[in-house]
Amino acid sequence: MRSRWLVSAFSRTLTLAFSRHVHRRRFSSATGVAVKKVTNSNFEPALEELRVRVREADFVAIDLEMTGIMSAPWRDAFEFDRSDVRYLKVKDSVEKFAVVQVGVCPFRWDGAKGSFIAHPHNFYVFPRKELPVDGPSYEFLCQTTSMDFLARYQFDFNACIHEGISYLSRAQEAEALQTLSSAYKDEFNDSLHNLEEHVEIPLLSTADLLFTERMKNRFHQWCDELIKSPAKNSPLEENSDSNKMQFRTVFFKMRPAVLLDGFSSHQLKLIQLVLRKHFKDLVYVRSVDENATWRKIVVYTDSEEDKASLRKEVQEDLLKTTGARVRSAVGFRHVIDLLTSEEKLIVGHNCFLDIAHIYCKFFGPLPSSMVEFALAVHKNLPRIIDTKHLLNSSHIIQYLMKRSSKSLSSAFSVLCPRVSSPSQHVASNSYVKVEVQADETGSCCFNSGAKHEAGYDAFMTGCVFAQACSHLGMKFELHSQSIDFSKNDKIQNYMNLLYPSWNSGTVIDLSTGMENPDSSYKRRYPQIVFSNIVLVWGFPSNIKPKDLKECVCKVFGRDSITSIFFLDSTAALIQFSKEELVNDFLILKYKLESNDDPISVLHPLAKLLEGGNTCAANYETYRDICSSSVSKVLFVDQAEAVGIRWKTKVENGSGETQKFASNTENAPGDGLPVVKQVTGKKNDPKRQSHHQVSCQDILDSLHASNSLFVKQVRST
Amino acid sequence: MVASGGKHCWCRAVKQITKSNFSAALQQIKAHIKDADFIAVSSQKTGDLSASSSHRYPWRRVLPIDVPETAYLKAKLAAETFELLQFAVCPFRFQGSKLVAFPYNFHLFPRDELNLGMPSYSFSCQSSFLTSMAREGFDFNVSIYDGISYLSRAQESIAKERTPTPLVYSSSSSPTPSVADSIFIGRIKSRVEHWRNACKDSRNMTDGSLAKSLRKLILGGEVYGSRPSLSIDVCSDRQVQLTLETVTHISDDLVPLVVLDKSVGPKSVRVVLTSSEEDKHLLMSEIQNLEEEQNLKVRGFREVIDLISSSHKPIIAYNCLHDFTFIHSKFISPLPPSLNEFMCSLRLVFSNIVDVNHLLKEIGPLRKAKNLPAALSYLKRQFFVPIDMEIPQPADGNSNKNHGHNVLRITRVFAKLSILLKIVPDCQTSLGRHTMAIEEYANIFYPTSNSVQETEADDVDFHMDNVRKISTDELIFMWGFRGGTSAAELKSHLRQTHFVFTEDFELRLVDNTCAVVVFQKSGSAEALLKEIGSGKTNSTAPSKMLSEGLKAAGYETYKKVCRLGLWEAELADSLESVTSDSSGDVVISSGEDASDIYWSSESMIDLNDL
Repeated sequence: MRSRWLVSAFSRTLTLAFSRHVHRRRFSSATGVAVKKVTNSNFEPALEELRVRVREADFVAIDLEMTGIMSAPWRDAFEFDRSDVRYLKVKDSVEKFAVVQVGVCPFRWDGAKGSFIAHPHNFYVFPRKELPVDGPSYEFLCQTTSMDFLARYQFDFNACIHEGISYLSRAQEAEALQTLSSAYKDEFNDSLHNLEEHVEIPLLSTADLLFTERMKNRFHQWCDELIKSPAKNSPLEENSDSNKMQFRTVFFKMRPAVLLDGFSSHQLKLIQLVLRKHFKDLVYVRSVDENATWRKIVVYTDSEEDKASLRKEVQEDLLKTTGARVRSAVGFRHVIDLLTSEEKLIVGHNCFLDIAHIYCKFFGPLPSSMVEFALAVHKNLPRIIDTKHLLNSSHIIQYLMKRSSKSLSSAFSVLCPRVSSPSQHVASNSYVKVEVQADETGSCCFNSGAKHEAGYDAFMTGCVFAQACSHLGMKFELHSQSIDFSKNDKIQNYMNLLYPSWNSGTVIDLSTGMENPDSSYKRRYPQIVFSNIVLVWGFPSNIKPKDLKECVCKVFGRDSITSIFFLDSTAALIQFSKEELVNDFLILKYKLESNDDPISVLHPLAKLLEGGNTCAANYETYRDICSSSVSKVLFVDQAEAVGIRWKTKVENGSGETQKFASNTENAPGDGLPVVKQVTGKKNDPKRQSHHQVSCQDILDSLHASNSLFVKQVRST
Repeated sequence: MVASGGKHCWCRAVKQITKSNFSAALQQIKAHIKDADFIAVSSQKTGDLSASSSHRYPWRRVLPIDVPETAYLKAKLAAETFELLQFAVCPFRFQGSKLVAFPYNFHLFPRDELNLGMPSYSFSCQSSFLTSMAREGFDFNVSIYDGISYLSRAQESIAKERTPTPLVYSSSSSPTPSVADSIFIGRIKSRVEHWRNACKDSRNMTDGSLAKSLRKLILGGEVYGSRPSLSIDVCSDRQVQLTLETVTHISDDLVPLVVLDKSVGPKSVRVVLTSSEEDKHLLMSEIQNLEEEQNLKVRGFREVIDLISSSHKPIIAYNCLHDFTFIHSKFISPLPPSLNEFMCSLRLVFSNIVDVNHLLKEIGPLRKAKNLPAALSYLKRQFFVPIDMEIPQPADGNSNKNHGHNVLRITRVFAKLSILLKIVPDCQTSLGRHTMAIEEYANIFYPTSNSVQETEADDVDFHMDNVRKISTDELIFMWGFRGGTSAAELKSHLRQTHFVFTEDFELRLVDNTCAVVVFQKSGSAEALLKEIGSGKTNSTAPSKMLSEGLKAAGYETYKKVCRLGLWEAELADSLESVTSDSSGDVVISSGEDASDIYWSSESMIDLNDL
């Protein structure tokens, strides 16, 4: 039995609904949208139901909540990030933070009702370690502000950690199956051929000796009993013999056996030793019982063949249970597998990071480049629409949104007033109707949705998408049943186009991996030329952007600087107007540092170098620092943690690199050949802008330059 | 009211403290700390590198091969990575044979209360830790919603610089005023006097609201609480000083307050007009309270740490190195780069720390007790030490929260041990002849490879391991073999590669990529490393070893890895980067700074023992 109600009509009949459903539903906040809460306890049935819903659905909206976004302030997305840097930052975020909530909301068009039917689900997930194998996600980072943000929106951390659904990615699943089965195999081989290794356990303490003696006697006694009266060997009789020294006989694989209970691991080792030394017909076996706990059993076998067949049986058992355990540990990934296998249109709002999380958590490790990533995503999730991009690039919607904020919730309230605030009387018929459906059975797990809860955010995203499609001219009414969005040429234009970050000014096409400028984006900084950029860090803390600009302009002229951007209080990117100035700056800095004469001290740039910790390099170094897995809060500490021990790095046109530690040992004249070489060779702008210097290039150049500047290169 | 004796009663007697009842609890604990002989502490973290569950980076755990220095560096890494969620404090005293204890459990969360990115921008969690806390019924919502925040001493001074609060400045005598100064003084004087008179005037008048607001606009006066006030802009410390002097000279009923700007320094002086002498006192105490409130907000839980520190009472903890690296990094200042500096810095704050682990070592058979429950059960079996524990504070209403009971366990173990070892608090040293001062045991930390939190599970027994002392000189690290090679395979393989391996040696895997070899004969390690370093081959064997890609390094290299903080996922990578950095030279440890480690064949991790 199901109850359906129109969301728009809901609040008008709120009192009615309350009186009818109050014993089942809690509507704490005003949204009044029933979102299904799914945790470990109701995952299985919820998954089965979701299978049906997704199969019927025309599209599925998703949203994720994470434990954080940036592992350090300077890892935030900047306009000054080149495409590869931006991807490195996303990759870092995805690899470090955990997903705690996933909202999945299938939408189905019901032609008869003229309305979409939505089923918002809110999955609590937690990377619980359920198998004894390593996984990259069992240690994760929490950004304090993000946790606080979640707390402010009443996120239920207890539900997440106590009952969150665990998961394994496809890669983890394959690895787990392999390691677990090989581990069991090893165990058996070990117990067969490693006899001599194990015998070496020394019996040093008297307690150990006494224990082994006692065990020997007890096992002898037990064996004797078995052989003497195999027929009478019933557990009842055993119990009547209240002597605690006696083992209780159980049956394992049709053989008499003893369950070893209450022994420590050390004692178990000693028992194994005793068995191996003195009992040819007793086999020590570890097996997993129904409750997935390990049981240690000693089994009696009548012959060598019997022993071998027992071993085989146990091993097969273990493999079988391993398979089952791994399957159950896959957990929440079944939902993602469902989405990929049904190949439904996925809709998300500003979902690049969400998709990256899905890839990393449920498919496998992220590829090293943006292009590879895009193509790999496309293979698994062939159709994705980013509503953020959709809203921004449609003029009609931009007109409707006017000046209101671009956040999901404001888009929702502007575009879907009938769904977001049903109490207001909205006459227009241009609004797409959305109905939320919840089944009566098991409705105890329904909560009223709230902002920034993944399930409700997914619902809002779906509503915004449906409404946006209608504004773009899609006529849902013409469809009696399912709608294929990808066939619609208006929607086609937005397919698989995502914003890599909110301020990238580009869109990436997942189907090709190409990144193109986004026409609707308004830049805050002048056009960025990465080869004109110098990275400076470690300067005195009192230097503000204004001071830095003044300082550099004094040396290179008023219009030498295009823009200055502070990554954090300890590091800045300076974009020069001309590419030559990058090397001029680096060489001048090096020279000033290696000379200790009054001219250097009085030089305008000396202010920047005060403290002697100022380092500088070109844009590539920024990329390298971003690619490190370390995350220190301050950029200065990060550079040090990455292992940068030099202070100036000059790269000339042919990709040759010089690093200067600026030791006082350097003779002043040492700097001269560099200048010569740099000016001697022409810069190759193509290479510089394309930044892909192969490792071999760098090595070659290091070799070449080593011979020239042995004295200067210090790599402490 | 009184919960004593039975194990099950004490759990509930631990007072649970969150943001809401913190300031009240602070007053109570202040009194309890004052009366206590000892203070036991324990904490719950979001993760722990030394935890046996941490399989991700096995070599980052504190291992039996670690010397105190490297153990410290590993503990430092853990303290910088993870966060404290609970901190239990239990001041207690002996009253005859009775133990009177006041356990408190503080729920912490590093919330950024001041919007300064402090106390911590982000922190790591190990899901196994959170899961095991969940199993004990830990309420994460309470911790994250209502946990008490804190700032370390170092962070507090940074915060003070950045957040402006009106302060009462003490004016000091200044040098003779210059011309500019006297002009400034004159201007201030006339402005303040004018304003003061206007304020006094307006009291008598019954103006309409429009006139009032107009006057306010013209005079530039503001309101400080219920009192009228005036802001005077200043641009230097000198001007602040002059303003303060001038204002105090004008009238006694004016109170000048200095308003600091973010990072820049004094921004303005706010002059508050009080109506009488009493009113002035009232204002001063108001400001005092405000300051204290602000301080409490800034320091948060650290107030408790400061209380413990200033009490100079002996602090009892288990696994001190580990716990106090956390305490130092979260509540004092960032951890220094070496163990010595850490111990010095710690001593300045806590003069007297007793490691229960160290006391356990004093009683022979307890030497091998791997954890507190094991020690407790041994003590119960072997010694008759009746301890009557009394917890006078009323139990909490919500009885299902039994967190922080570990601190009571520490208290109990310590109480028993102190009776056995005849340790008494300072004040009673004169009572008996055979007593030992607690100082004898203070400030000696034992690095342990076990953590308190992990011990609940099974194995409450003693490992009868044959611990022997070996010098770090006899130990080398080897890597470069195929991943997944077992220790036995590697051992038998090595026997064929070099003659030093024909003698008896021990080999263990530290992680999948690196093994540690212990030679029985002294000098073998050095000989091998020298040979590899020089590239000279006495026989064809080492070149075979090297050609297979096998590499070796001495203990110094390992130390350097830890010192430089090269915590790569796999030890082989870290060793590799250090050895390649020092231009291929294999560092050979010189005899002088070799230290001893306790090598036990049992407690070393065994990857095959998953």
